[in-house]
Amino acid sequence: MYIHQDINDVQYQYFRKPPRLSKKEALRLFLWNPKKQEVFGRTGTSWAKIGIFYTIFYGVLAALVAVCMWVFLQTLDPRIPKWQLHESLIGTNPGLGFRPLPPEDNVESTLIWYRGTNKEDFKVWTDALDEFLFPYKTPGSISGHGQNIYNCDYGQEPPRGQVCDVDIKAWAPCVQENFYNYHHSAPCIFLKLNKIFGWIPDYYRDPNNLPSNMPKDLVDHINNTAVTAPHTLNTIWVSCEGENPADLENIGPVKYYPRRGFPGYYYPYENSEGYLSPLVAVHFERPVRGIIINVECKAWAKNIKHDRADRIGSVHFELMID
Amino acid sequence: MQYDTGRSDSYRVATVPSVEDDNLTADGQYRSRRKMPPKKKDNLDDLKQELDIDYHKISAEELYQRFQTHPENGLSHAKAKENLERDGPNALTPPKQTPEWVKFCKNLFGGFALLLWIGAILCFIAYSIQASTVEEPADDNLYLGIVLSAVVIVTGIFSYYQESKSSKIMESFKNMVPQFATVIREGEKLTLRAEDLVLGDVVEVKFGDRIPADIRIIEARNFKVDNSSLTGESEPQSRGHEYTHENPLETKNLAFFSTNAVEGTAKGVVISCGDRTVMGRIAGLASGLDTGETPIAKEIHHFIHLITGVAVFLGVTFFIIAFILGYHWLDAVIFLIGIIVANVPEGLLATVTVCLTLTAKRMASKNCLVKNLEAVETLGSTSTICSDKTGTLTQNRMTVAHMWFDNQIIEADTTEDQSGVQYDRTSPGFKALSRIATLCNRAEFKGGQEGVPILKKEVSGDASEAALLKCMELALGDVMTIRKRNKKICEIPFNSTNKFQVSIHETEDASDPRYLLVMKGAPERILERSSTIFINGKEKLMDEEMKEAFNNAYLELGGLGERVLGFCDCLLPSDKYPQGFKFNSDDVNFPLENLRFVGLMSMIDPPRAAVPDAVAKCRSAGIKVIMVTGDHPITAKAIAKSVGIISEGNETVEDIAQRLNIPVSEVNPREAKAAVVHGAELRDISSDQLDEILRYHTEIVFARTSPQQKLIIVEGCQRMGAIVAVTGDGVNDSPALKKADIGVAMGIAGSDVSKQAADMILLDDNFASIVTGVEEGRLIFDNLKKSIAYTLTSNIPEISPFLAFILCDIPLPLGTVTILCIDLGTDMVPAISLAYEHAEADIMKRPPRDPFNDKLVPAISLAYEEAESDIMKRQPRNPFTDKLVNERLISMAYGQIGMIQAAVGFFVYFVIMAENGFLPVDLFGIRKQWDSKAVNDLTDSYGQEWTYRDRKTLEFTCHTAFFISIVVVQWADLIICKTRRNSIFHQGMRNWALNFGLIFETILAAILSYTPGMDKGLRMYPLKFVWWLPALPFSLAIFLYDETRRFYLRRNPGGWLEQETYY
Repeated sequence: MYIHQDINDVQYQYFRKPPRLSKKEALRLFLWNPKKQEVFGRTGTSWAKIGIFYTIFYGVLAALVAVCMWVFLQTLDPRIPKWQLHESLIGTNPGLGFRPLPPEDNVESTLIWYRGTNKEDFKVWTDALDEFLFPYKTPGSISGHGQNIYNCDYGQEPPRGQVCDVDIKAWAPCVQENFYNYHHSAPCIFLKLNKIFGWIPDYYRDPNNLPSNMPKDLVDHINNTAVTAPHTLNTIWVSCEGENPADLENIGPVKYYPRRGFPGYYYPYENSEGYLSPLVAVHFERPVRGIIINVECKAWAKNIKHDRADRIGSVHFELMID
Repeated sequence: MQYDTGRSDSYRVATVPSVEDDNLTADGQYRSRRKMPPKKKDNLDDLKQELDIDYHKISAEELYQRFQTHPENGLSHAKAKENLERDGPNALTPPKQTPEWVKFCKNLFGGFALLLWIGAILCFIAYSIQASTVEEPADDNLYLGIVLSAVVIVTGIFSYYQESKSSKIMESFKNMVPQFATVIREGEKLTLRAEDLVLGDVVEVKFGDRIPADIRIIEARNFKVDNSSLTGESEPQSRGHEYTHENPLETKNLAFFSTNAVEGTAKGVVISCGDRTVMGRIAGLASGLDTGETPIAKEIHHFIHLITGVAVFLGVTFFIIAFILGYHWLDAVIFLIGIIVANVPEGLLATVTVCLTLTAKRMASKNCLVKNLEAVETLGSTSTICSDKTGTLTQNRMTVAHMWFDNQIIEADTTEDQSGVQYDRTSPGFKALSRIATLCNRAEFKGGQEGVPILKKEVSGDASEAALLKCMELALGDVMTIRKRNKKICEIPFNSTNKFQVSIHETEDASDPRYLLVMKGAPERILERSSTIFINGKEKLMDEEMKEAFNNAYLELGGLGERVLGFCDCLLPSDKYPQGFKFNSDDVNFPLENLRFVGLMSMIDPPRAAVPDAVAKCRSAGIKVIMVTGDHPITAKAIAKSVGIISEGNETVEDIAQRLNIPVSEVNPREAKAAVVHGAELRDISSDQLDEILRYHTEIVFARTSPQQKLIIVEGCQRMGAIVAVTGDGVNDSPALKKADIGVAMGIAGSDVSKQAADMILLDDNFASIVTGVEEGRLIFDNLKKSIAYTLTSNIPEISPFLAFILCDIPLPLGTVTILCIDLGTDMVPAISLAYEHAEADIMKRPPRDPFNDKLVPAISLAYEEAESDIMKRQPRNPFTDKLVNERLISMAYGQIGMIQAAVGFFVYFVIMAENGFLPVDLFGIRKQWDSKAVNDLTDSYGQEWTYRDRKTLEFTCHTAFFISIVVVQWADLIICKTRRNSIFHQGMRNWALNFGLIFETILAAILSYTPGMDKGLRMYPLKFVWWLPALPFSLAIFLYDETRRFYLRRNPGGWLEQETYY
């Protein structure tokens, strides 16, 4: 009764199931459908159209981002950060940095490890220091340095726009010629205070009013200075100690060159051309060999707080000399 | 009684509807189908077979022998016990439930959960390796691992809770009242629980009882059963001890488990129990059917596959790239975690669940109870509805529809609320007719129903007598007092040989000593016994002309599928039958010939009032409505016509044949849009032929179908690619209900088995509620699309930071925790609020703008477009091509809006970095130093040196800002996701849930950023107010871009832009 075959003249009331294809077949048709002339499900024209659409779309989007970026960059000063100190996320509590750093591919490490007897071994470290100290040695190598250099001293702060010189000779024996004393298994580590734009230190000037946790030798040193050279009290003091009781034993005597701190006349840092951070060379004279020594160095000023875990106001590194 | 095949539509079938149909088994059909899937469970195939038993054929003696029972004494207790032990209790095995822990595990490991578990496990592995190698391991990974596990577990528990909440709905239906049965054992009458019945028990059943098992009747007195839940026949069937039909369902000597005895009493032998009863087999068939996934589940799976594919592809690609770039493998693993977390929309499945729950709640308030949450959407996708007739489309209540007196057909009011036509109740013709209908009627209202509307009152007695009673109660008032005033003296009850019923009454008029004889019955029998006819108050001779008029009326009413009764009366002359005359009904001593014919009344189970409108709405929504009923073709066709399933002017093959006066075989079936297919016909055709019927006829009625055939019809529709909804109330519908993509059972009239099998229950039994379901289903599908488009958009700004981190070596712009804050925090409420979005008025359906009169500039004119709900005017979605998440949605969300969002994120990131000292150019390649704890003095573009901690504060502030700017652009995204085609000016902002969502996400973002302690907990830092602003121009850009896109979409319907971007 219902076996007529002229299907074409009847409108379908049902949605037709798409033909079932095997996964392989479906993939082949997706890659290249010869019947519809489609590559990846689209014909050439279709690809071109959608390609043009997205090109224009992303072009306009990129332009929008570029315009916004350009407008934004106009609001920035190339020398002065937009937000400073409290306003900026850098805050007002500088950290310390040390040199030499372990090589680039060991960026997570703070261990300075070498054999004092092996020149090749400590060359890695002395080379790193050479590189770091290059601008200090050849002042002309960084722009501006040399022209606006000012011979600073306590009481002789540089005028605005001028920068203080750093005397590398005063670091002896921690100098290049001496391999920074690495070959004697008594290495020098250089410390520097993090630059924060506009940050002015608040010095410990009163020897009777020092924090209780300040190391004794530093207290003595400040007391001493207060007597011998009170004009140099405007200094951010530095101390390096072993972290744990064992480290305290192992670290041995420590010397600081050129002086035990960062002179106040280097501050504030205002991104003047040619500015070089003051450095303190810490000379470990007789560290115990063959053992890891955890060293913590701290900078001391009234507005520097310390936190060992966050490494603020301080720095941590390990020494191991075989 | 013969089946008049020549005039199959003739009144004979309509008027004598008892046992004509030979609804034989469909064995041949099934056997041929069965060889296709032989591996399928045998017992299911067995159930698909039509019933094949011989208990009704064998003699009573053989029956007793077989069960070792006795008609008077019943079984012995020992035998009963033995049988009970052998066969188990006489109860249906409840359908197998998935254990709760399996359901829970599905929620815990299904969907994206697996991917997130992998992420969490990778986190733990990374942490444990770090813990074992480094002295102070960063607990980031441990933390993230815990957060990820918590996310999976919480969302899993949430979905499980939602699921179990909706399935609890069923529990209320499970509390069936325990059934008791009267059993004879060892000659003693016992009352036992129905579960304790065993094969061979002799049981007694009386009216009002539920048949406790399948029984062979050995004795019956005026016994009638209501088989409607089993066969769909709306009229009670009389049952007796005689074997009348090969088909067990048709033969008179069987009564079936769970059907109701409505009249009389009977005694029978239990022939099958529990799951082996007819009802048990159907229930077993229903619960054994494999229902497959709901359409929305398919869509969600498709979507999960898509996203998982992208996540795995990107993750593995970048894992490899990270290796090639020389990253440590642990770093590569951490990248992998980041990419997985960024790719997976963690909150989306919960959002979908909530959206569905909200819709389910809304539907429940409109009397659509959804058992399975996913079924909420199914009605929206439905393209074919197979509806049962009795109780679904009709009221399941015989009602007087027409009367014929004074040689005219009067329409009675059949509506449920009596809002239909009124007729003249004062004419003498009506008075005479109503007197007979009132008096010659044994039906009575059951007590205690004061205040119940007359039509809803319960009546004891035959369905057609009940219909007459109600009709008369409506027309005349208190029938019982009228009967009291006309005291019944004598009566001959209806029997199938006479086909009439007579009673003799005293008249109301006290001065008239005559007795009144009233008779009703099969019209042709009544006509035979009449010599005169009462027309317009005068008694006329019954001549040929009058007979012709009678025949026409009879044919017309019969053709309407109505059951017609004839009425006649006679005032007995007082000389022959004086006061006090002893009438004898056994040995008839009064005239039954030469009576006065008064009229005809015809009854039908009328359609529910709301049905024609609902059918029309379904039609306009592109849904094909097919009637599948166990009832007779004529009745089915009449109802189909009156509700619009067969629309006016559409003819069946038989109609065309009749009109052209040619044999049926000569008619081209293609010319007939409508078809009425008989179950017997269906039995003989192949599935290909069924396909043709389904394909070439737009309006189809299947009549006299068995439960198995209903199942085949549903399968046929599904084979054609339709998504099928089945509505039904009877046990016989339950296999089809289960097989359908969505089964809709009736809450009031529906049997428990049907409710068990269904996915949705109409609490008010109103077919019109289906329209609500369709509307809500379509709306939720659209809104889910919007919701997903909204949620997926933020994936690009979540993934791209990681890619930039790996490829450009910049500090990470957006962390995993912040990603989770977006996915599970700020995006959730807005995404859910899209479920409340109103349907989009589709201006495409409106006539195009007249350029001569409508001079408004287009941009303004679209703001003035009037709203018009179109959701019910379009075709149902094509399940094969119209996906929930299609490439256009991905292209929009990922390729366009997402890219703008990523751009804004990076812009804000660079702004904050630059304002704090790191200019964009200096960020590239800085990553290693940046992330190294060892580097305590990283130099920025202004020569400032940053400690590790300060750098990280800056980085996390950037994460927060990136997060905040995503929130800002998501405002615009949310607003553009409200509509897919229309302008927002057209749609309006009246979705208050969504408006709340906008405010909520902003406040939440602010809380996350500014609450003290968030820096420790979530690594979120307070932002300067100005850092909220860079995102605004991009937010505006998104809004303008999409408004423009949709403007062109409307301007060029079907154009390239629509093909590429309309999701």
